[in-house]
Amino acid sequence: MKIGIPRSLLYYYYYPLWRVFFEELGAEVVLSSHSAKGILAEGLKNAVDEVCLPVKMFYGHVLDLAGKADMIFLPRIVSVEKREYICPKILGLPDMIRCLKNLPPLIEVDINLYKNNKDFYCAIKNIGNIFTKNHLDIWRACLKALQVQKKYFKLMEMGLMPSEALALIEGRVEDKFLPDGEKFNIVLLGHPYNIYDPYISMDIIYRLRAMGAVVATAEHVSEKIVRSCAARLPKRLFWTLGNRMIGAALHYLEQPGISGMIHVAAFGCGPDSMTGGIIERYAHGSGLPFLNLTLDEHTGEAGVMTRLEAFLDMVRWRKAAFGS
Amino acid sequence: MKGYIGIDVGSVSTNIIFIDDGGAVTDAIYLRTQGQPIAMVQKGLKELSGKLPAGSKIRGVGTTGSGRNLAGIIVGADAVKNEITAHAVATSQVVPGVQTILEIGGQDSKIIILRHGVVTDFAMNTVCAAGTGSFLDQQAARLNIAIDQFGEIALQSESSVRIAGRCAVFAESDMIHKQQMGCGLPDILAGLCQALVRNYLNNVGKGKEILAPVVFQGGVAANVGMIRAFEQALGLPVKVPPYYNVMGAVGAALLAREAVAKRGYSFFKGFGISNMKYKTGSFECSGCSNLCEVVQITEDGEIIARWGDRCGKWSNAVREDKIS
Repeated sequence: MKIGIPRSLLYYYYYPLWRVFFEELGAEVVLSSHSAKGILAEGLKNAVDEVCLPVKMFYGHVLDLAGKADMIFLPRIVSVEKREYICPKILGLPDMIRCLKNLPPLIEVDINLYKNNKDFYCAIKNIGNIFTKNHLDIWRACLKALQVQKKYFKLMEMGLMPSEALALIEGRVEDKFLPDGEKFNIVLLGHPYNIYDPYISMDIIYRLRAMGAVVATAEHVSEKIVRSCAARLPKRLFWTLGNRMIGAALHYLEQPGISGMIHVAAFGCGPDSMTGGIIERYAHGSGLPFLNLTLDEHTGEAGVMTRLEAFLDMVRWRKAAFGS
Repeated sequence: MKGYIGIDVGSVSTNIIFIDDGGAVTDAIYLRTQGQPIAMVQKGLKELSGKLPAGSKIRGVGTTGSGRNLAGIIVGADAVKNEITAHAVATSQVVPGVQTILEIGGQDSKIIILRHGVVTDFAMNTVCAAGTGSFLDQQAARLNIAIDQFGEIALQSESSVRIAGRCAVFAESDMIHKQQMGCGLPDILAGLCQALVRNYLNNVGKGKEILAPVVFQGGVAANVGMIRAFEQALGLPVKVPPYYNVMGAVGAALLAREAVAKRGYSFFKGFGISNMKYKTGSFECSGCSNLCEVVQITEDGEIIARWGDRCGKWSNAVREDKIS
């Protein structure tokens, strides 16, 4: 059986887990194509209005899987952390997608760790039962999947980007030529499905690297540090991904040798407007150069390029004038 | 005379200036882009060559603005820089010690904060173009007044009316509403200026520390109504430099001077380019699902540049042809 996974949204966090789990149970995993104009166009045509760009893109990815997969994996990820939530649009995905026509059957399970971990094992059992009634096989697959997932998170903590960590796990080599030259550290914060999707972000990571920046993201910071830094906020945030961004921002603001911080938000994202604002205040307070980039459906790259170029000019200029 | 040319190709205007070795502006040409950036650059250069005394020598040329890459290819630029850096460089030279630059152009508005001669923060309008020059242009045309009288009329107002400046569409319906209620034209125009300033300070200037000296530039700085609205809102005197509407071009020329001093020679192709035939066209690459729109520029039938492809297949092909 072919299980389709949309290459979008939480794919950037949990793909290794999902893939190994399905493969261990004897299924074949098919990914949707890379984000591209055609995928977004399909998404725009079918998505409900007033959702953000990455959710529109998700629609396109799901539609891309029609005809390629026998079933589409579409969990309702409500919460992955005690007393925290994932964005409301992500937890509404199955309901939105269900309205699309001509799709293969969806694997919908709830993943909700808001209260405790019990629901996670329940979900694993429910998905596993599609393939086998043998509980031992399901747990074996789950353990193996969790192991690979742990390795994936570990590789990112070591400073790899998701695509690089994935390439390493899968034994591929991913290399893009980058010029040598003066290097400086730039922190890039944003939802993983925005900054790591080269189409949505206009390949921001590659562009920054090509302009001489060493790019650090929230995924490069360990869970423990993120938690302890985010706990400094007067009130805890509801969103797991927002907490990660804020925790990482507070951590990086204390590190020496950081030259600038960029926050990427999707236009219309509620949580982003809040977390971005909080991060901006802390960054201003510490005097670190800060840039807020808002992404939407524009295909013109001039706006993003102008802001990035100007930001890096400012970083270099300040470094030359005041030292690091 | 010896000196440098600066070209700023913006959405609404194309500005070409000439500075002498000392950095003083001797000629400034302000043209409406009218959707034909190449033709306007050619026209402007022709005009400039007619104005310069015989035997003048061009030591270098710099470009900026959203059309900077296009203009840069056509003239053979020594420096191709984003507008923020260009404006900051120019204003620091013209108004030493400047701490805040307010710039409102055709479709962009920006704020640049400098401290001790170094850019420390900046912002540009995000997805909304309300409060930029093209909106004022539109409204002037709708009210059938020449744009250069807009400010003078606004100054005659004794009590301005409140207009919603949050969005250009709402502002327009609000203006129509006030006009149908019988409010006077000067009061409506003054109200509009205040609405735009409010919108600018809330969006672009959000959270920025605005300190004197404040310099206001860009095409909209011609509007005395806007100058007064800014002074009222900020409670600070607002300075408008002599070449306020071509400051980006001045910055580009200054940056070209720096680049040529470093490199030792210029790439400038000469005034002959005014008579060359340029053609631009675009095609959709079908190499992958990205379906990039590739733009191609030909000079007298020879392809001189391509861009827009994400992978570099087309743009690099031109570069390789040139090297071999």
